[in-house]
Amino acid sequence: MNPRSVRAHPRRVPLARRNLTADRRRLAAGVTGVGLAVMLILLLDGMWAGIRQQATLYSERSGADLFVLQPGVRDLTAGAGSLPLPTVDQVRADPGVAWAAPVRTAYVILQLHGRKVPAYVVGSVPGQRGGPWSSASGRPPRSDDEITVGTVLARRHGIGVGDRLELLGRSFRVVGLSDSNGFMLSYVFVTHDALDGLAGSPGRTSFVLAGAADAGGATARLRAQGLDTLGRHQVSVNNLRFATGILGSPVRLMVAVGLAAGTMIIALTAYTAVVERRREYGIVKAMGGTGRFLVGLAVAQTLTLAALGLGAGWLLFVAGRGVIDASRPQFAIVLTAGAAGRAVAAALGMALLAAVVPARRLAALEPAAAYRSAA
Amino acid sequence: MRGRVPLARRALFQDRRRAALAAGGVAAALLLVLLLQGIFDGAMRQATAYLRASPADVIVSQRDVRTMHMSVSALDPATDDAVRAVDGVAWAEGLRYTTTFLVGAGDRQQLSYVIGYDTATGRGGPRRLSAGRPPGPGEILVERIAADRLGLRLGDRVGVFGGTFRVSGLFHGGTTIANSAAFIRTEDFAAGTPSAYVLVGARPGVPAGDLARRVAAAVPGDTVQTTGRFAREEAALVRDMSADLMRIMSTIGLLIALAVIALTLFTLTLAKLREHAVVKALGGRTRRLAAVVLAEAAWSVALAVAVATAAAVVLGAVVGRVNPAVAVAVTPAGVVRVGLSALAVGAVGAIVPLRRVVAVDPASAFRRAS
Repeated sequence: MNPRSVRAHPRRVPLARRNLTADRRRLAAGVTGVGLAVMLILLLDGMWAGIRQQATLYSERSGADLFVLQPGVRDLTAGAGSLPLPTVDQVRADPGVAWAAPVRTAYVILQLHGRKVPAYVVGSVPGQRGGPWSSASGRPPRSDDEITVGTVLARRHGIGVGDRLELLGRSFRVVGLSDSNGFMLSYVFVTHDALDGLAGSPGRTSFVLAGAADAGGATARLRAQGLDTLGRHQVSVNNLRFATGILGSPVRLMVAVGLAAGTMIIALTAYTAVVERRREYGIVKAMGGTGRFLVGLAVAQTLTLAALGLGAGWLLFVAGRGVIDASRPQFAIVLTAGAAGRAVAAALGMALLAAVVPARRLAALEPAAAYRSAA
Repeated sequence: MRGRVPLARRALFQDRRRAALAAGGVAAALLLVLLLQGIFDGAMRQATAYLRASPADVIVSQRDVRTMHMSVSALDPATDDAVRAVDGVAWAEGLRYTTTFLVGAGDRQQLSYVIGYDTATGRGGPRRLSAGRPPGPGEILVERIAADRLGLRLGDRVGVFGGTFRVSGLFHGGTTIANSAAFIRTEDFAAGTPSAYVLVGARPGVPAGDLARRVAAAVPGDTVQTTGRFAREEAALVRDMSADLMRIMSTIGLLIALAVIALTLFTLTLAKLREHAVVKALGGRTRRLAAVVLAEAAWSVALAVAVATAAAVVLGAVVGRVNPAVAVAVTPAGVVRVGLSALAVGAVGAIVPLRRVVAVDPASAFRRAS
C-alpha cells in the first residue's frame, strides 16, 4: 500500500473526534472539569473587573474635578487622611474654584446578624457635594442621627428606610438606600458632624472636593498655597492602584491554579482516550501514519476538549454569576470583552500544554501495538 | 488471600502517567482551596500579631469598637484615669491610633496604622526591635517589610501626617497584604488627640476576665474586652470578611476535584471491568469490588491532598519571597478540613463506577476481549 494514500485516508476519518466521543460519559466528565476551570478563570476575571470598577466609584461619581488631600495621601480608598476643616475655606477662596465641600471618611466594622461587616462611612455636609450619588429610595441624611446605606448591605441584612442602625455606639435612623456599593463592603452616608462626633475629633476633615472649570489652573494655584491637590483622574488611578495592589497577588495565584487544573483535566481526558485506543493508533502507524500526524491527532483532541470546555465554562459562568449575584451581591462580577478573550486564550493555552503528554505517548507508540490484543 | 492483593492501588498506579495526571488534576483543584484558606489564615495571624505580643490583659475601646483593623476609636480623656482607679489594675496606658500613609523614598507609600505609645514603659510598642532603638521626639518605628517596600533604612526620614519622622528602629510582624503598623511617641500625636484604646494590666492573681468585668463597670460607656477576646474579634473580622469568598472558591475547587475523581474512577472501572468480572467469578463479593472502587477514590484523594499540601507549602514560600506581606499559612487543621471535604467528594465521584462494578457479569470474565 502506498503510504501517501494511507496518510491521506485518516484525514477523512475524524479519528480525534470519534476517539473523544467514543465514551460520552467520560467526555462529559472531562468537559465539565474543563468548564469548571474556565468558569473559575472567568469568575476571577469578573471579580477583578468588579474590584477595578468599584475602586474608582467614589472619585468618579462624586462630581468633583479636584481633590485636596492630606500631604502624602494619594487616594480615597484607604479611609486615611486628615486636614484642618478651614482648608475648605482656603479652597473656596481660589478664583477658579466653583464649589468646595469637605468630606470625612472612616472604615467601621458593623456587627450585623452575628457577623462583622465592614463599611466605608462617608460624612458630608447636608446640601453640599460628597454624599450619596445614586438614590434607590429615601433621601440623603440631613441631621446627625440619620444615615443612608448601600443597597447591598440593606438587602443582605434586611435593612429598610425607617429602621435603626447602630454605628460606633450611636443609633441612626435609616432615611435612604443608595446604589453605592464597594467590593466586599458597603458605603454608608452620614453627616460630617455626625462622623466628627463618632471620631471624637471635630474641626478635621478627610479631604476636600472641589469643582473647577479649569482644573489644571486651580490645581496649580492650590498647590502653590501648599495644598496637596490632585485631579479626578489621578485620584481614580491611585485608588485603583491601591485596591489592585492589595488583591493582585492572590487573584493572580488563583487564576494560575485554575489554569493548572484545567490543563491537567484536558491532558487526563485526552491521554486516557489515547491509551485506550492505542491499538487503533498502532494500526494507523503500521499503515504509514507519521509521528506528526499522530501528534496532530492529540492536539486535535485537546483542542476539541478545550473548545467544548470553553462552551461549558461559559454556561457555568453565567449560572454561577447568577447564583452569586443573588446570594452574595457584595461580589460584583463584571464581564468584559477582554475577559472573554482571555478565557479563549486560556483554553487554547491549556489545550496546547495538555497535548504534550498524549502526543509523546502517541509519538512513542510502536506500530506493533496494532497486532497485540487489547489489554 | 483476601485483602492481600492491593487491587485498587495496582489498578490506579498501573499507568503512572495517568495516575500523575489524575492526582495533578485533583491536587490543583484542592490547591485552590488550600491556598486561599492559607492566605486568609496568614492574614489572620498577621492581623493579631500586635495583640498576641501585648502584655495587656484587658483592652478598652470606644463603645461598639471591638477591633483595631479597619476601625476608628476615640475615648473620653478621663478614661485612662478612671481605669487606673479600678481595683485590680496594675497599670493602664492609653494608645493614640490612626490610619495614614507612610511616604518613603520616591513617593512610595504604605498604608499604616500609626500607634502612639509611652516609650518609657514600652508596653504599647512592639515587643522586640530587630534594629535600632525606641523612638525619641520626631522619630518612628517602622515594620521591616514596610521599610523594605518604602526603601527605608535606620536614620532615613519618612513622611507621616504631612511632616517627616526619622526612622529610629525596625521591628518584625504586623505588615499584612493591605497595611502595616508604625509606632511613634504619644506626644508626637497632635495635641488633644484622645486615646483610641487603653491597655490594662492586671495585678498578680487577678484573672483577666474578672478585671474586664470590673473595668467595664467603671467605664460603662466603653467596650471592655480581655486581650484574648480582642484578638479573637480581630480574627473574626478576617474570617467574616473572607467567609463568603472562601465558600465560593471552595465550592468551585471541590467541584473541579469531583469532576476529575469521577473521570478517573469511571475510566479506571471501565478499563478493569474484565478484572472485576474475574474477581467476581472467583467468588469475590460485590462488597469487595465496591471496596476496590472506594479504595481507588481514597488513594486518589490521599495522593492529591499530599501533592496539594506540598505545592501549597512551596507556593506559599515563593509568594512570601515575592511579596513578603502575603503570608500563606498552611496549617494541619486546614489540610485536614480540605482532606475531609475531598474524601466526601471522592465518595460522590465513586457512585457511577460503583454502579458499574455492582452490575458486572462474572461470565464476562470468560469472554474474549474485543
